[in-house]
Amino acid sequence: MGTLLVIAWRNLLRGWRRSAVVMLAITVGLSACLLMVGWSHGLLRQMIDNAVSTRLGHLAVLAHDYQKNPDVQRNLPDGGRAIVAELERFPGAHASARIVGDGLLQSARRSSRVVLVGVDPMREARVSTVSRALIEGRMPLAVVTTGSRRLPGMAIGAAMAERLRVKVGDKVVVHAPGEVGLGAYRVSGIFRTSSSEFDRSHAYLRIEDAQRLLSVPDRVTEVAVLLDDPDRLPEFQAFATSALAAALPDAAPDVLTWKEREPRLAAMLGLMADLTWIIYGAVFVAMAFGIANALLMMVYERIREFGMLRALGLQSSRLLALVLLESIVMTVFGTLIGLAVGLPIVLWLGHVGIDLTSFANDLTEFGIGTTVYTRIELRDVLLPVVVALVTAVLAALWPAWKAVRLRPAEAIRHI
Amino acid sequence: MARRILEAVEATKVYRAGALETRALDAVSIAIEGGEFSALCGPSGSGKTTLLNLLGTLDRPTSGRILVDGEDTTEMGEAARAELRLRKLGFVFQSYNLVPVLSAVENVEFVLLLQGLPRAERRARALRYLDELGLGELAHKRPGEMSGGQQQRVAVARAIASEPEIVLADEPTANLDSKTAEDLLHLMLRMNQDRGVTFLFSTHDPRVMAHARRIVRLVDGKIASDELRSP
Repeated sequence: MGTLLVIAWRNLLRGWRRSAVVMLAITVGLSACLLMVGWSHGLLRQMIDNAVSTRLGHLAVLAHDYQKNPDVQRNLPDGGRAIVAELERFPGAHASARIVGDGLLQSARRSSRVVLVGVDPMREARVSTVSRALIEGRMPLAVVTTGSRRLPGMAIGAAMAERLRVKVGDKVVVHAPGEVGLGAYRVSGIFRTSSSEFDRSHAYLRIEDAQRLLSVPDRVTEVAVLLDDPDRLPEFQAFATSALAAALPDAAPDVLTWKEREPRLAAMLGLMADLTWIIYGAVFVAMAFGIANALLMMVYERIREFGMLRALGLQSSRLLALVLLESIVMTVFGTLIGLAVGLPIVLWLGHVGIDLTSFANDLTEFGIGTTVYTRIELRDVLLPVVVALVTAVLAALWPAWKAVRLRPAEAIRHI
Repeated sequence: MARRILEAVEATKVYRAGALETRALDAVSIAIEGGEFSALCGPSGSGKTTLLNLLGTLDRPTSGRILVDGEDTTEMGEAARAELRLRKLGFVFQSYNLVPVLSAVENVEFVLLLQGLPRAERRARALRYLDELGLGELAHKRPGEMSGGQQQRVAVARAIASEPEIVLADEPTANLDSKTAEDLLHLMLRMNQDRGVTFLFSTHDPRVMAHARRIVRLVDGKIASDELRSP
């Protein structure tokens, strides 16, 4: 094998122009692959991270069947305090009880459908990044005094504020189902998250105010949990399920991960994995043709040499190995250069991000934000190396077979 | 009586190109014995290279049999024929046909590598044969850095280094000038006389014929004469 490797290597040097072109194609293709995969993963990861850190949490405890039929009457008892206490026994778990209901938000000029989220702002800050996304004012306060009337506070999204044409300190009225069903609030803060859809539809109240408005005193619809270590989610889900079953045998709440709460988002992860294969597939099919073409040329140029080697007694398996080795050596070098070029770029863009302010509106619709940070995992690096080598072997099989099929007597006299 | 190394029995070779059939060799029978220094002669198209290719198991006869060292190769698979060539036959081609990316010593070593000789032994043997053929100083040159005559001598070294039963040489002097061709012939003659290496040439070069001790003339795919000459 050593001598065959030497022959393969020297032949690549002998036809260095052709080898360089093929290696360049592999390098560019692989770098582009890494960039596209890094970009796609970064995009999706940001979408997921933003959804998890604003509304989903890594895991949520919901009243039984609330996921299927989100009605405020399907709720958890005791203001969710017992559940929060149970869940926070798990190291690195931060829980916040929420009451979530639908309503209509009205300003002096306009109205808009709204998702009302009642929270304890202090607890919520440990589970959600909404408080950190405030661009003005504060999270809901007990009382906001502006002018003559003292009203409870409410934080709304920037898109909602624009739609209702309100600013911090302005009064808004909420209509909600329930016996009370009506309440006046003052805008205490305006937030802008990376999702314009979220900002357009969500309003935060103090949990007591929301419970009163929705006529479900001391009740919550969910307890959201954020973990310091998201990798421990399966372990935490098992813990939460058994802990709550023991602590609240009558409530039988549902314990759902973010993937279970947002199956479409989870499905996109699977889709991204498929997309990665499609990207690699497209690039490597093109690469395969390049390699096969170069090797076919090489075989045709060296028919006499191969004929001579066969005449000397070189077994066809070794001749096959020789051609495959030339392909593999060429691909390994192209792949290594591709990784050396592409990986630092992807890692750098993962650090500084790609500023897409000009596309900001489109991206925030998907909850991504204005800067995309590329993200690459070990498997994204290893996969193309493996696929490249498999491609190299497959692409070389045809030329190699041509070489093996040569009849020595004719090949030796080939001009 | 010397051992029969190669033998063709009623060997016929017909080339087909569409409806056109060309009978390159017509029921030729011939035996080559150990120690010979023989030449297959004849004009172009007489079938000498075809016969050499059949005897060297590089091609298969349309009918008839080819025996190498008494073993019938007619029904042998390609792998077995390659193994037979590796162990028992040496080749020298008209166009030298060295591996261009290997040095002289590596070219000679290559066949020894295929034979499975240990690295140290094959390097020593390759250098010994190159020295013997006056190529010691060129051992580490690649074919592109050598003259045609030097390349052909490396090809001879490669052919005999594997210590085959016979060396088959197809027009070995065709691309060489008179002086180089003469030197090469003397070299091969010396190998024949000193080491007992058997040579069979396919040639129409009078210089080769002048040194050959047996001349087999082919005309239109048939043996026209088979003449033994004293040294």
